[in-house]
Amino acid sequence: MKLTVFNGSPRGKNSNTEIFLEHFLNGFLIKEGNVYEYAYLNRAKGQDRFLELFKEAENVLLAFPLYCDAMPAMVKTFIESLEPLCGRKGNPNIGFIVQNGFPEAIHNRYVARYLNKLSSRLGCKCMGTIIKGGGEGARTMPDRYKKSFDILRQLGQIYGETGQFDLELVHKLAGPYKFSKPVVLLFKPLLKTKPFKIGWDRMLKENGAFERRFDRPYL
Amino acid sequence: MRITILNGNPDIKNIKFEDYLTKLTDLLTANDHTVKVLQIREMDVRYCIGCFGCWIKTPGECSNAADDSRLVRREYINSDLVIFASPIIMGFTSALLKKAHDKLLPLLLPYLEVDQWEAHHVARYDKYPLIGLLLEKNNDTDEEDVEIISGIYVRDAINFKTSFCFTKLTTDPVEEVANEINSI
Repeated sequence: MKLTVFNGSPRGKNSNTEIFLEHFLNGFLIKEGNVYEYAYLNRAKGQDRFLELFKEAENVLLAFPLYCDAMPAMVKTFIESLEPLCGRKGNPNIGFIVQNGFPEAIHNRYVARYLNKLSSRLGCKCMGTIIKGGGEGARTMPDRYKKSFDILRQLGQIYGETGQFDLELVHKLAGPYKFSKPVVLLFKPLLKTKPFKIGWDRMLKENGAFERRFDRPYL
Repeated sequence: MRITILNGNPDIKNIKFEDYLTKLTDLLTANDHTVKVLQIREMDVRYCIGCFGCWIKTPGECSNAADDSRLVRREYINSDLVIFASPIIMGFTSALLKKAHDKLLPLLLPYLEVDQWEAHHVARYDKYPLIGLLLEKNNDTDEEDVEIISGIYVRDAINFKTSFCFTKLTTDPVEEVANEINSI
């Protein structure tokens, strides 16, 4: 099976998306004969090549982080470049991976609906969207993601054998869709405490910007 | 009201869309609103690259590019209503508009809080503008597309500490849109 991967993270090689893809692709490659091609949408050079890659592809995987409840603008630019291919015969099968920095998966649901519609607009068979909530720390705190990485590898392996996303695993990876009210009530005051701010505050201090953290430059 | 229209029309030849915005602007101005239209295609707005510099290096400001997104943020946060205006392209608002949209992130703080039983970012400012959508249908646009786009903007309103007011189409009479805005 041949797969064409588009990494749609504006952070490109240094993204959490990259890490999630890496584990998925490790699983995908287990089956002998499977190969993939990989493109970074954040590279200014080669924008024309993306369309060609998509045209020639048999199977496409488009992965990106959630930006303002949807795809990052550079992914939308890529999607707009596909317009001439709408309804073309022989468009590839397509699947998606969307990760977000919030702890819950609900934030991704709306863009997943869009991606489904996009697939039918293009005339691509849609394999679904793999959703991952709480994805921001995959690069900086990989130890916390061992379970997720393992599920992604399994997802990749099954995809590499069947061309399908295993729905049970997709569900398992997504994490909580929405927290229950008792959990939220417990969680709410915690968010205001130091441990939940410490990561940001440490980075602010490293940059000498801690005192300015609440700045309102546009008033 | 102070109203900002973010014009995400990438195509200068799409005169119909521009004319609609001009008419709407005139009507709103006649009704004592202060209206500013930002022509994003004529501005230098770069992609958000997700560096978080606006949270951890230069709080509240994009540290990656001294681009015109500064103007977008200034107008946005000082408005009572922001209208996201765009032709529908491949089932969503334009990449051009999304570029400006992604660059609103500095208006929030990195910290999380619970809002409507979900995690969202904490406000940086006391007040955020209401938001509305003005869309132009494409040949292949159906009701589901409009619903999907609106759904995403309703979510966006939660993240940007505000309410989503309306989705209007350029097939709606421009007076109707102006009246709806007047009634806010």
